[in-house]
Amino acid sequence: MRTTEQSVSRQRVQKAGLDLALPYLLLSPSLLITFVVLVYPLWDGIRASTKFYRYGKPLRDVGLENYVRLWFDDQFRNSLWVTLRFVTLAVAIETVLGLALALFCQREFRGIRFLRTVLIVPMVITPVVVAIVFRLIYASDAGMFTVLSESFGGDPVQILGHPTRAFLALVALDVWEWTPLMFLILLAGLQSLPVEPFEAARVDGAGPWRVLVDHTLPMLGPVLAIAIILRTIDAFGTFDQVFVLTRGGPGEATRLLSIFGYETAFKFQQTGYAAALFITMGLLILALALVAVRLLRRAEQQ
Amino acid sequence: MSKSIARAAIISLLLGVVFLPIYWMAAASFKSNKEITQEATLYPHSPSFDNYIRLMSQKQFDEFLLNSIVVTSASVALALAAGTLAAYAIARFRLPFRLERAVGLSLLTLRIVPAVVILIPVYLLMLELKLLDTWLGLIITYTALNLTFCVWMMESFFREIPVDLEEAAMVDGDSRFTAFRRITLPLSAPGLVATAIFAVIVTFNEFMFALVLTATPRAMTMPRGTATLIGRIDTDWASMSAAGVLGALPIVIFALLVQRHLVRGMTLGALK
Repeated sequence: MRTTEQSVSRQRVQKAGLDLALPYLLLSPSLLITFVVLVYPLWDGIRASTKFYRYGKPLRDVGLENYVRLWFDDQFRNSLWVTLRFVTLAVAIETVLGLALALFCQREFRGIRFLRTVLIVPMVITPVVVAIVFRLIYASDAGMFTVLSESFGGDPVQILGHPTRAFLALVALDVWEWTPLMFLILLAGLQSLPVEPFEAARVDGAGPWRVLVDHTLPMLGPVLAIAIILRTIDAFGTFDQVFVLTRGGPGEATRLLSIFGYETAFKFQQTGYAAALFITMGLLILALALVAVRLLRRAEQQ
Repeated sequence: MSKSIARAAIISLLLGVVFLPIYWMAAASFKSNKEITQEATLYPHSPSFDNYIRLMSQKQFDEFLLNSIVVTSASVALALAAGTLAAYAIARFRLPFRLERAVGLSLLTLRIVPAVVILIPVYLLMLELKLLDTWLGLIITYTALNLTFCVWMMESFFREIPVDLEEAAMVDGDSRFTAFRRITLPLSAPGLVATAIFAVIVTFNEFMFALVLTATPRAMTMPRGTATLIGRIDTDWASMSAAGVLGALPIVIFALLVQRHLVRGMTLGALK
C-alpha cells in the first residue's frame, strides 16, 4: 500500500518536472534551425557588408564605406527609382482593380465559386512560369501582339526591347499575377462587415456612390491598408519574374534592386557591396512596414 | 435583367484575361518552333507531343521535378513539425522573463525581414558546409524560410482553441504533452492543413535561393531548371512552353484540389 503510494507521488513529481521542461523542449528545434539558418546568416551578412571583396574573397575591413558608396552609385539610385516606380504603379492598379472586383462580387451569386477558383490560378502558378507565359505574349517573333498586328498587315511589335514598354509589360505581368490576391482579401473583408449601416443608409436614400464613400471604404479601411502593406512589401522583393522576363533590361529599364544586388554579388563577385545593398533594401522595407503599421494603428484609434 | 448580363460580361472578360495568356503558352507547347515563329497560328495545326518528349529525354526535366518534390515535401514536413511544437509553447506557456513572448516576437520580426537580406550569407554558409548543389542544402534553407510562417500561423490557430479542453484531459490524468497530442492537435487539423498547403506552394515555386544554391540537374528544382532552359537555348519557344506547362500543372492541380483550404489560409493569413 505504502510503496504504491510513494511510487505514484514520485511519478507525479517526475511528470511535473517533465511538464516544467516541456516548453523548452518544444521550442528548441525551432530555435536551433532559426539560429543556424536565419540569425547567424543575418549577422554574417552584416559582417560581410563591412568588408571589401574582390573576386568573392574578403580583402579588408572598410567599416560603413559600402553603405555610403551606395548613395553615390548611379546604378543603385537608378535601381531604387525603378523599384519605387514599379511598386507604386503595380500596387495602385491592383488595389483599384481588386476593390472594384470585390465590390462587384460582394453579394453571393451563381458562378462566384467558379470565379474564385479561376482567380486562384494566376497567383499559384510558379512565378518563373508566369514570366515564360508573358515572354511568349510579348515576343517580337512569336508573341500575341505581333500575331495580331501582322494579321492586320502591320509590323512585328517590339515590347521587351523598348525601355518604357518593357517596364509597363513588367507591371502588367504583376497586375495579372497579384490582382486576384487583392480581390480575395478585400472580398473577405467586405463580407465580414456588418449589414445594418448599409441598410440604414439605403433607407435614408443614399445612392450607391455615397454608401461606398461614407460607409464601405471607412469600414474596410484596416483590411484595405493591410492588403496594400502586404502587397507593397512583396512587390519590393520581386525577383523571379524580372530575371526570366528581361534580366533587368533593356539597359537598366527594369533593373529592380533585387536584380542589381544579385548581379553585384554573383556576377561581379562584389560580395560585401551587394550585402550592404541587400541590408539597405531590407531596412527600407522594414521602415516602410513599421510606418505603415503605425499609421494603421493611429487610423484605428480615431 | 441588364444587371445579370453585365455580370456575365464581366465574368467572361475575367475568364479571358486569366486564360488567354495560359492558352497561348499551352498552344505553343504543341507546336513546332517553325510554326510558332513563322506561321503565327492561333492554334496548333499539327499538334504533337514532341516538345514534351524532348524535355524529358534530353533536358532532364524529370530530374528537376523529382528534386522539387523531394525538397518541398521534406522541408515543409520539417518546418511544420518544429513550428507546431514551438507555436504550442508560445501560445500556452508563461515562461520566466516572458521568454515565450520574446521568442514569438523575434520570429515575427524575422518573418518581416525580406529573404533577400540573407541570400548572400546563406550561400556563404552552404559553401562552407559543402552543401551547395545538394538536396540537403535546399531542405535546410527552405525549412528555415517556412518555419517562421508555420509558427506564426499555428500560434493563431492554437489561441483559438480553449485551454479548458486540455485542462480537463489533464485532470483525467493526461500529461501536458499527451493532452496536446490527443486534444489540441486534432482540433487544429484545419489550421495544419491550411499552413501546409501554403508552405508547399511557396516552396515548390521558390526560385531565388534555388538559383544561388544549385548548379546542376543533381539538385536543381523545377523553377531553377526551367530558367536554365531559357538561358541555354535562347529562343527555343517550343521547349520553353512545354516546360512552362509541365512546371505549372502539378501546383495548379494541387491548388484546385485543396481550394477551400487555400482561400481560407490566404485570407486568414492576410486578415489576422
